[in-house]
Amino acid sequence: MGLHTETRSPASGPPPDDSSGRRRALIDTTKLAALFAAIVGERGVLARPSELATYSSDGLPGYRLRPRLAVFPTTKQQLIDVVRLLAREKTPFVARGAGTGLSAGALASGEAVVIGLNRLNRIISVDPVNRLAVVEPGAVNVTLTRAASAHGLHYAPDPSSQTACTIGGNVAENSGGPHCLKYGVTLNHVVALEVILANGEIITLGNADGGEVDGYDLLGAFIGSEGCFGIALEITVKLTPNPQGVRTMLADFMSIDAGARATSAIIASGILPAALEMMDGPTIRAVEASIYATGYPADADAVLLIELDGLDAGLDPDVKRVEQYCLAAGARTVRIAANEAERARLWQGRKKAFGAMGRIAPDLVVQDAVIPRTKLPDVLREIAAIAARWQIQVCNVFHAGDGNLHPNIGYDSRNADESQRVGFAMRDIMQACVDAGGTITGEHGIGLDKLEYMPLIFSAESLAAQCALRDAFDPERRANPGKVVPVHSCREWRGA
Amino acid sequence: MSTSAATTAAQHRVRANIASGAPLRIHGGGGWLDAGRPVLDAAPLSLADDDSIVEYVAGDLTLTARAGATLASISRATGAEGQWLALDPHGASAGTLGATIATGSAGPLSQAFGTPRDTVLGLEVVTGMGEVVRTGGRVVKNVAGFDLTRLFTGAWGTLAVITEATVRLRARPERDETLAIALPNHDEMEGWLGKLRALPFSPLALEMINAPLAAAMGLERRAQLLARLGGNDDSVRAQRQLLGALGDASRAPDGSWSALAAVEPPGCAVVRVSASPSRLHALWSRLGSDDGGSLAHATVGRGLVRCIRAPSGTPSVAGWLDAIARCEGAHIFERLPAESWNMIPSRVHDSLSRAVRDAFDPARILNRGILGEHA
Repeated sequence: MGLHTETRSPASGPPPDDSSGRRRALIDTTKLAALFAAIVGERGVLARPSELATYSSDGLPGYRLRPRLAVFPTTKQQLIDVVRLLAREKTPFVARGAGTGLSAGALASGEAVVIGLNRLNRIISVDPVNRLAVVEPGAVNVTLTRAASAHGLHYAPDPSSQTACTIGGNVAENSGGPHCLKYGVTLNHVVALEVILANGEIITLGNADGGEVDGYDLLGAFIGSEGCFGIALEITVKLTPNPQGVRTMLADFMSIDAGARATSAIIASGILPAALEMMDGPTIRAVEASIYATGYPADADAVLLIELDGLDAGLDPDVKRVEQYCLAAGARTVRIAANEAERARLWQGRKKAFGAMGRIAPDLVVQDAVIPRTKLPDVLREIAAIAARWQIQVCNVFHAGDGNLHPNIGYDSRNADESQRVGFAMRDIMQACVDAGGTITGEHGIGLDKLEYMPLIFSAESLAAQCALRDAFDPERRANPGKVVPVHSCREWRGA
Repeated sequence: MSTSAATTAAQHRVRANIASGAPLRIHGGGGWLDAGRPVLDAAPLSLADDDSIVEYVAGDLTLTARAGATLASISRATGAEGQWLALDPHGASAGTLGATIATGSAGPLSQAFGTPRDTVLGLEVVTGMGEVVRTGGRVVKNVAGFDLTRLFTGAWGTLAVITEATVRLRARPERDETLAIALPNHDEMEGWLGKLRALPFSPLALEMINAPLAAAMGLERRAQLLARLGGNDDSVRAQRQLLGALGDASRAPDGSWSALAAVEPPGCAVVRVSASPSRLHALWSRLGSDDGGSLAHATVGRGLVRCIRAPSGTPSVAGWLDAIARCEGAHIFERLPAESWNMIPSRVHDSLSRAVRDAFDPARILNRGILGEHA
């Protein structure tokens, strides 16, 4: 968490390009802009500071880094030409989708330029028979589900930002979402990628025809590589049949502890909900005070939003069991959405919770960590203690079913003291999650924000091995330089 | 996290062999040593005795075990809690966790649960650089760092020796039953497969088997579908009814799945061919015929046909391979007679794969030659 500094630079630029350590002369920005314009047209290049402001953050406060240029291809060939131009000029770049990543992963500074992919947003094909779709990297997540819905299909990974985030960004981050509890994350839904590497070479990972892939799982390695391995030109994904039946339930509790115990009981029982989400009291009250008010009980200290899906015939027995687990853990009431409108309303509160919290404070840190599910009650208590220690307000809204926490802190970044306390609290929360056997990110990625925590979970050798994988894809380290793995780790591996 | 004595021992072996340049052949339970290309002139590095379960928290549905732990021992431990590791690779249950992950092996349950890449959460390995590396973690969702877990899964031990793994478990369904349905005749097959794929539920397994395979399993000698249904009583009852619309369904004998897993005679040749699910009909008509010289089965949801040729079968291996090779789709050669491998292209011929191998095993110490790569 970079709250102790207003602006921070990536840990490094690209490595020197010859053994003597001399850096090759950098192409002049004006000249580069002209070369970009020759590929994408004048309107596809941003160079003025005011125009670049939008591309200086990704929604996570504490980081503002202005790229020297941003370029927006509108066709695959333009994107290829841009990457090859950058390869010739040895210029680093940062691919960016919708900029909803929340880890400062899509920010560029120094020599790097932003390649904006949001205009490459076409759904190229939908194959309902084989349940496959091919999309461009800038296609917005929810538009694919809309396109597939006529066939009774949907695209399963559904991040809360799904109305804005792009599938290319989802690939880069290996995004999840509420329904990945049952249906899996992006990794489990991408069949093939056509990728352009930083050196301009185009390769195919996976098998777009749907058959098995022989050799190393480079597709799996690429997914979640946060833009450091190359840029996806085309993405082939699986589509998932809509379930025959859905039951959405809301259980409310007078303590977080009780909600956490209910979660653990449901998971341990073997029922696999399509989604199992938790919101704490401050979140509930923020939602209910906003335009997204959905009728959550405002005096509750926790609600669980539980969705079961499958064959209609099998749902009601499971609904009864889930209800019993909730009541046994201390739920006051368990309500079942009576129709689609009520279901949509219950979900709106969850999906718009971040927006509702954003109303309360000028800045909002949306954090991300994962813990073993049996540790939920312990870690949530620990987070409350950390919040009290640093005198900050934490709102918890998260994917309880897979232990993916989102402790969020509203604050005012103009207040230096408060910003510093928020930074310390974040560090303590990360440490608590790691101590519980968890990890530092479940879906937002490392980006710049969590570089400093990587040594908490990986040894120097393990970090160096990750760097070695990056170097196989991009030996010049020009794709999203300085992100994910602390640069000093890479030097150690190279010396091995 | 501390490193176990067994891992340190494996690391010493790898480092010693890096120094001497002599290759190592990684052994688990020994059941898969005839799979993949022959690894020549390599000293064995056995992980079979390093077989403990390190941590099993039933409430988390995760388990961490040493690479030599057998699938059978994991099944016993998890079964006591009503859970399972939903990986059922072909071969004996004495197969080890490490070998299953290293070879990326999966069986009929991959219809519902995918392959090892969908199940493995984290690994401890010794790389071909002689470094102990931990990947992923012990939680079910994790995007911290570059995904070495996927890289080492299915890499056939050519990048690193897997010494420990954490896997995601599933709750065993309340009810778990298997139905058998006769396959329709050739003309009706395509439409029938379309209906099968359109069923509004996900069976645990949907496996077609040809008549010779059914006979070898001790079932009635006829081409049939084995459908494994799971869920609560009400759900399975509804699934049974829906499936009944596709033909007369009868309960398959208990043990049908273990019979399928164990059906391969020693010394057999095995090839998988896969394509998009809509092309399964064409693949099956070529590869699954009852007189094509193969014991054949197909995982419906994956569009995958697996052909097994008995050592004494007809036609000749070359003729059999030739017929399979003419089938459009992705071919993966599991087991072949040693002399047949020179007909098969390398599995890691592209420059990126070579760069990856160079990064993790530059001296080609680990399972040298098993993927057909050139040193």
